[in-house]
Amino acid sequence: MKLNSLAFRLFRTAAVWAVLVLPLAGFMIDWVHRQDIYKSFDARLSQLLTLNIAFATDHGGPEPKVPRNVGEPLFELAHSGWYWQITPLGSSPGKRLVSASLTSDRLRLPSSQGGKPDNNNIIWKDTPGPAGEPLRIAETLYNGGDDENPRFYSFLVAGNIEFAETRIAEFRVPLAFSLALAGLGLVLSTFLQVRYGLRPLHVIERRLAAIRSGQAQRLEGTLPAEIEPLQTELNALMQSNHNIIERARTQVGNLAHALKTPLAVITNEVANEDTPSARKVSEQAKVMRDQVQHYLDRARMAAHTGVIGRVTEVKPVAQSITRALERIYQDRRLDIVVDCPADLRFQGEKQDLEEMLGNLADNACKWAKSAVRVEVRSREGAKTGEAQRLIVAVDDDGPGLTPEQRAQGIKRGRRLDESKPGSGLGHSIVADLAQTYQGTFTLEASELGGLSARLELPSI
Amino acid sequence: MRVLVVEDDPDLNRQLVTALTDAGYAVDKAMDGEEGYFLGETEPYDVIVLDIGLPKMDGISVLEQWRRADRNMHVIILTARDRWSDKVAGMDAGADDYVAKPFHMEELLARIRAQVRRATGHARAEIECGPLRLDTKTARVTLDGQPVKLTSHEYRLLAYLLHHNGRVVSRTELVEHLYEQDFDRDSNTIEVFVGRLRKKIPPYLIKTVRGLGYRLSPEQDEA
Repeated sequence: MKLNSLAFRLFRTAAVWAVLVLPLAGFMIDWVHRQDIYKSFDARLSQLLTLNIAFATDHGGPEPKVPRNVGEPLFELAHSGWYWQITPLGSSPGKRLVSASLTSDRLRLPSSQGGKPDNNNIIWKDTPGPAGEPLRIAETLYNGGDDENPRFYSFLVAGNIEFAETRIAEFRVPLAFSLALAGLGLVLSTFLQVRYGLRPLHVIERRLAAIRSGQAQRLEGTLPAEIEPLQTELNALMQSNHNIIERARTQVGNLAHALKTPLAVITNEVANEDTPSARKVSEQAKVMRDQVQHYLDRARMAAHTGVIGRVTEVKPVAQSITRALERIYQDRRLDIVVDCPADLRFQGEKQDLEEMLGNLADNACKWAKSAVRVEVRSREGAKTGEAQRLIVAVDDDGPGLTPEQRAQGIKRGRRLDESKPGSGLGHSIVADLAQTYQGTFTLEASELGGLSARLELPSI
Repeated sequence: MRVLVVEDDPDLNRQLVTALTDAGYAVDKAMDGEEGYFLGETEPYDVIVLDIGLPKMDGISVLEQWRRADRNMHVIILTARDRWSDKVAGMDAGADDYVAKPFHMEELLARIRAQVRRATGHARAEIECGPLRLDTKTARVTLDGQPVKLTSHEYRLLAYLLHHNGRVVSRTELVEHLYEQDFDRDSNTIEVFVGRLRKKIPPYLIKTVRGLGYRLSPEQDEA
């Protein structure tokens, strides 16, 4: 997964959610639960206190007596953590009464330590108990007399907080487990969302690849509403790109026609005159002709740089060119052989393949004694994953070239022999075009005895 | 040999007509596609030089229509659009050769000579008949190595007979192939020129085939 991908963004959001928000939610739930446990613990203590007062004073005597058990057996078990204690305050009659669980110990009264009563007149205090256990004490001051003869008693009930803490701790395990499960579910659902939700983007990716490789001309098919505008725009862009190139080609063709006819007139007008000015005009006309050709070639090449999605079947092109050459060189009775499997395809413009093959085959025909061979093969890329390549070899049985001449043969505009007609630009056009397609162009000695011109071009 | 030049640029058209006439051809001209098509359709040309970019009707359409109408004269296309795709399109439309603009007139003349030779089945640039020899490259006729001085009409007649040597050529065919379209066609003039030629070369070379026409042949015993 790439760092700048949509999938990564979605995963990052899910991860932030899982790492930050889920623990926060866990803490909050734990806090609320803790509050709830303590509230019910306090309510229990408060209830026991009320019952204790009621049972200690319901006999009608002047002082409280040992109340009957209020329903908490732990008050009977020594150092159980659950205690009650009734203490007469000031000069009030009676003895201090304690639960059996306190044995000989006594609890210090929160009211004597400055504790303040709450709305229900209960003073709360957390303190260690006789066995060191954490206790929560609820105390209330009870007036056993009346306003004129008050008899104050301190009633207190204590409970072991560990009971509450244990319940809180017990709740944390399933809480953490469920939250972890929720986090995992989130990541999993994000993964599925990415896989399912982003599938149309992968479809576009595949279709664009098909366009690049020339298997399709447009982005076809129904896509989700969000990316449909992208599809429409891409199609429009490709169409516009195609139109611009077509226009540029037409313009270049028109320019060629517009310039070359007057150039032909000028050249022919002075051809038969042998005066200094005629020679000058002729010389300059030749310079103009070469310049026009040079820049037309440039313009043509610039027009299709970056063009995508064009595929040309090689065999029909090779055949139409040899058909044309057979007619042009009919008198020479050349044996022109095309050896090209039918399934080979060039990844590029038909016109460019025609230009390269045409120039090479024409050159071969000009120099051949009797035989010209056009052989096209495909080759797998040298490295795995590298695109398939097209190998074109045009051989003749003519005089051939020396290694030095071959090195010069692909340089621009150099004609190695002025006796054969042609502008001498053929090989350099081929070299330039091959370069445009990231291909290579080399001249070698042919096994037929003459020159072998070799092209390596992209294929699919 | 009769040649048609279809070219819309007046200067280039004039240059072509002049150069071809100087080279010994009977030349007609057309300035647009429709006129060119009409002439090619109705007149028996040996070679046609056809520009591709023409007003009214483009050269490729003209050529295709001729070929569809079974007009088999040899056609050389002149094109400023010199990419191979254009050349292939021209050749596929039925052209026999192409010349890219701008061109040297000698190159075009060489291509026309090649087409004439091809049309008459001669592989070499020199055509011989007994002691008579025509160098199509230089348009010179020699007799036993000595140059023969000919007027342009005499040259046209002799060159045509030499190209078709051994075959009987009718007076009508000669008139059709030796004179421009607007020439006053009187077949008697052919006889006049044959008479003149027989004074410049051994008379037995041009045989009269009664009721049919003329035949060039090196044998002496016929006549």
